[in-house]
Amino acid sequence: MRILLKLIQTKDAFICSLTKRMFTRSTVRCSDQLFVHRENDPDTKTFEFTIENIKRAESIVSIYPEGFQAAAIIPLLDLAQRQQGWLPISAMNYVADYLKVPRMRVYEVATFYTMFNRQPMGKYHIQVCTTTPCMLRGAEEVYETVKKLCTDPKLFTVSSVECLGACVNAPMFAVNDDYYEDLTLDDVKEIINDLKAGRKPKPGPSKRSGRLCCEPKNGLTSLTTPPPGPGFKVRSDL
Amino acid sequence: MLRFVAASCKRTANNPSCVVWLKECRRHARTSGSKQQQTSAAQETKPKLLEVFIDEKKVLVEPGTTILEAAAMAGVEIPRFCYHERLSVAGNCRMCLVEVEKSIKPVASCAMPIMMNGMKVKTNSPMTKQAREGVMEFLLMNHPLDCPICDQGGECDLQDQSMAFGSDRSRLQVELDPKRAVEDKNIGPLVKTIMTRCIHCTRCVRFMNEIAGCEDLGTTGRGSDMQIGTYLENTALLSELSGNIVDLCPVGALTSKPYAFTARPWELRRVDSVDVLDAVGSNISVCTRSGDLMRILPRENDAVNEEWLADKSRHAPVDGLKAQRLTVPLLRPSKSSQLQMCDWEDALLAVGRALNGIQPSRMEAIVGPFVDAETMVVLKDLFNTIGSENVYLHVDSDLDKSCFPSSKDLDFQKNYLFNTSIAGLEDGVDLLLLIGTNIRFEAPLVNARIRKAWRNNLINDIAVIGENGLDLLYDYEYLGDSTKVLADIVAGKHKIVDRLKKAQKAVVILGQQILKKDSDSNAYEMVRALCDKYGAEFNLLHANASTVAAFDLGLKPSSERKTDNSDEQSLLWLIGVDDENLTIPNNSFVIYQGHTGDICANTADVILPGSAFTEKQGTMISMEGRVQQTLAAITPPNMAREDWKIVRACSELANYPLPYDTLLEVRERMQQLAPHLTRHSNRKLEKPSLRPPPISSVSAQSPVSLLPRMKSLVDYWQTDAISRCSPTMSKCVLSTKKEFDKRGIKY
Amino acid sequence: MASRRVVSRLQGHVKPVLSLDSTEAHRRVLNLYRAWYRNIPVILNRFNLPIDEQMAKNKLREMFYRYRNVTDIRVIDILVIKGNMELTETVKGWKQECHVMAYFKDTHNPKPKDFISKFLSGHDAE
Repeated sequence: MRILLKLIQTKDAFICSLTKRMFTRSTVRCSDQLFVHRENDPDTKTFEFTIENIKRAESIVSIYPEGFQAAAIIPLLDLAQRQQGWLPISAMNYVADYLKVPRMRVYEVATFYTMFNRQPMGKYHIQVCTTTPCMLRGAEEVYETVKKLCTDPKLFTVSSVECLGACVNAPMFAVNDDYYEDLTLDDVKEIINDLKAGRKPKPGPSKRSGRLCCEPKNGLTSLTTPPPGPGFKVRSDL
Repeated sequence: MLRFVAASCKRTANNPSCVVWLKECRRHARTSGSKQQQTSAAQETKPKLLEVFIDEKKVLVEPGTTILEAAAMAGVEIPRFCYHERLSVAGNCRMCLVEVEKSIKPVASCAMPIMMNGMKVKTNSPMTKQAREGVMEFLLMNHPLDCPICDQGGECDLQDQSMAFGSDRSRLQVELDPKRAVEDKNIGPLVKTIMTRCIHCTRCVRFMNEIAGCEDLGTTGRGSDMQIGTYLENTALLSELSGNIVDLCPVGALTSKPYAFTARPWELRRVDSVDVLDAVGSNISVCTRSGDLMRILPRENDAVNEEWLADKSRHAPVDGLKAQRLTVPLLRPSKSSQLQMCDWEDALLAVGRALNGIQPSRMEAIVGPFVDAETMVVLKDLFNTIGSENVYLHVDSDLDKSCFPSSKDLDFQKNYLFNTSIAGLEDGVDLLLLIGTNIRFEAPLVNARIRKAWRNNLINDIAVIGENGLDLLYDYEYLGDSTKVLADIVAGKHKIVDRLKKAQKAVVILGQQILKKDSDSNAYEMVRALCDKYGAEFNLLHANASTVAAFDLGLKPSSERKTDNSDEQSLLWLIGVDDENLTIPNNSFVIYQGHTGDICANTADVILPGSAFTEKQGTMISMEGRVQQTLAAITPPNMAREDWKIVRACSELANYPLPYDTLLEVRERMQQLAPHLTRHSNRKLEKPSLRPPPISSVSAQSPVSLLPRMKSLVDYWQTDAISRCSPTMSKCVLSTKKEFDKRGIKY
Repeated sequence: MASRRVVSRLQGHVKPVLSLDSTEAHRRVLNLYRAWYRNIPVILNRFNLPIDEQMAKNKLREMFYRYRNVTDIRVIDILVIKGNMELTETVKGWKQECHVMAYFKDTHNPKPKDFISKFLSGHDAE
């Protein structure tokens, strides 16, 4: 009898454990990019280089030796992206047909490099640097502010990127090809308001920082003396 | 150590298929550049052999041999995933890492050429072992644990190598560091993809780009987001060789769609056989499970199919031989009635009565594309005993008969063989002239061989007479489509003549599937004359597996049939002949013998169920004259019998008993007729030595265009009784059409 | 055979199995027959056989008549021993139905030998 009771108990416990059992589920790891082109993804109807760009393309292709024209994929894709603002599949196809390489080869290159934007972009692509030096100088606030201010997807695309190589002037962001450096939150607001108004703010270190370029903020800390002339520290008998 | 592995993975795993097109570019660069370099390279003296020590075993190798190849010579197997002998080296799986003395880091042996004398390689050292374990751990980190539901299970390189070289534990903490998951791709009805299982060896990418010439497969993205795919969603691979990537895939990422979830490799029995769906004679293994045909795999034979197989040969018989089969004898009691089931006795008696009652001169027998040599021997003997000579090989009624050899040409084997041989295409061919053929679909593996030679700069000059704009997977010069071009070349008036004269080894291939035109051409004779005049090698590209055997045994092409309008009773015996426009004489008693009730079976008065090539032992002769045999993997269904036995049984009931009862005795008889037919050899090829008398003059005729029957991939899938009955092939047709529509290609 | 028996008897080499002469052998055979005959109802009772008593009796007679040409006493003795063993096995139920029914099996059909009968029967594998 006791054994039977025990059996029932264990059975109950077993059922309980079944109902209460937690399914472990690993965290989801998502890529920020999708490397598949869906059939109904945005695309432009046709793509063709403009007359000026055709000239440019010809001169780019002519750099490469005979038989190695495929090497022009990257510059031509860049040209196409500059013309269109982003890189639709029709532009990739156009570049592939232009260079007579299989289309897949162009897709491979375009998906490999993150600077080829395969989704429609705003007029201004704001890339906020969030790598360590910028982060220490307040890049996170800058990023939040930029995100808050830039809500119109037709005008702005905001992305946080890794180091853009302007650590001396941290924090910074890039608007299309121009770097805006030594940013304070006021600078950010000003720049973005200017962009919204259609003006082009002056690239480089902000006015408030008082810097022209990447020189030290409080005057020179090295090489303060005038440079010695020829014959410096040379033996007198020479 | 592990850090090193990770770093090297990152470095190389990113975009290996770039290598592919770079190589292509270099090829172009080399061909367009001066030829001087090549000749000077050829004149160089043979380099000295280098000493290598693999696990202290000395091997002598040529400089430039990779460590992996040297190890293979020493009998040491180095594990690998991405390396494949017939593909370019990618070096991205890192499984083949070995320790090399005086090198701080382990070295990827598949990509490391031996350039130094006395290199010491250690394939069993602790460093090598640890490297392998590390790589294996990384590979398994993102590989799902779904082996029990994976079709590759049991024949999976990853399973085997993780057992042999992997560590017994993993440091993966799946709660913190989740496994990668990749969406499956739809790449057509033949290849099923489960991309999460992919280990990015890029064998499939390299195969499709290099060998199959279908440049739709590639790698997108990078790092751990890298995917193998077509980038564009739902892109069917437009290739006739895509089934091979299933064999190549070392894991279960690419599996066969028609074979999905049907069998396990350890349940299968493999029987070595020969493919009959084209005339190449590809070596295959027929895999069966308890009397059921499960799948067909290629068998390695460097002289024929290397290790590839065309999709039709691989997939069509598996389900095509399970539908529309003739399994019982059928008899039509009177002309107006339906076919009715009957016993073998009744059917044989009906045939026997007909054979006895009809005048021998009014009897005809035609053999179709899949018939083995034994059946032809028995059939010919029976007809000759009765007193009839009318045994024919079927030639489709919509084909131009003038591209076939006529019966007077059949005295010399050289007149109807693929004389250059398939492997010979890689052997110093200076000029290749393709006439009236879409070789890519008539013989996909021969075309793959030409592409291989073209890629390796072994054939640089290819010209085509025939259909314009064929996608043959290599560059060629289009000369025109009519016989006028041929006549011009023979007369020495064409621009290619200079090259023909200059070429040391010119190869001319004449197709056998040229569509019939209103007027007859004399293409065959003209091509013969062309070859004789310029000393080019003459080749016929047969499309049917039975053709060469039939010609060897003296069967005439059915285009030479003489049908008259007399109403006297006649007899027509069809063995596996399916042709919509077949001429059937008046008042004819039609016997249909074969395995599939396709087109002509309906017109028959008696149907004798025969067996397919998977169900019988029979001699097949490929277009290059290679004598091979199919073996019985399964038993014929229901009351079906082997073909030669059916003919033999008919002979007995017609009172003309033939003097052989067993296959061996038939083969003895076959040896009397044609001694070479019994010398089976998959490896060696006996070439005919007799030269036919040269043709010097050809009569001028009005020009006729030489257009092959198959134009695009859509036409390739369903060309014969077996493939027409195959649901998989129908799916292929549909998906190919859809893909063509999507890309705006006309078909 | 007979001459050999005479010779061997003269030489005194023959060792009888059970019976010393044909009368004794005859008696043993009759006894065995009787034993089987009496046990037929028992056997039919024990097994669920699709036969009646008369069929069983006919079969018994047939089995005994099969050896009616045997004259060698020692061979008869061996056959009697074997018959007894069969009887024991049957009556004690060491045999099963299928074994008993084996007595009633059809006569053996020889496999087809010539080509055409092999072809028709489907036994045409070589």
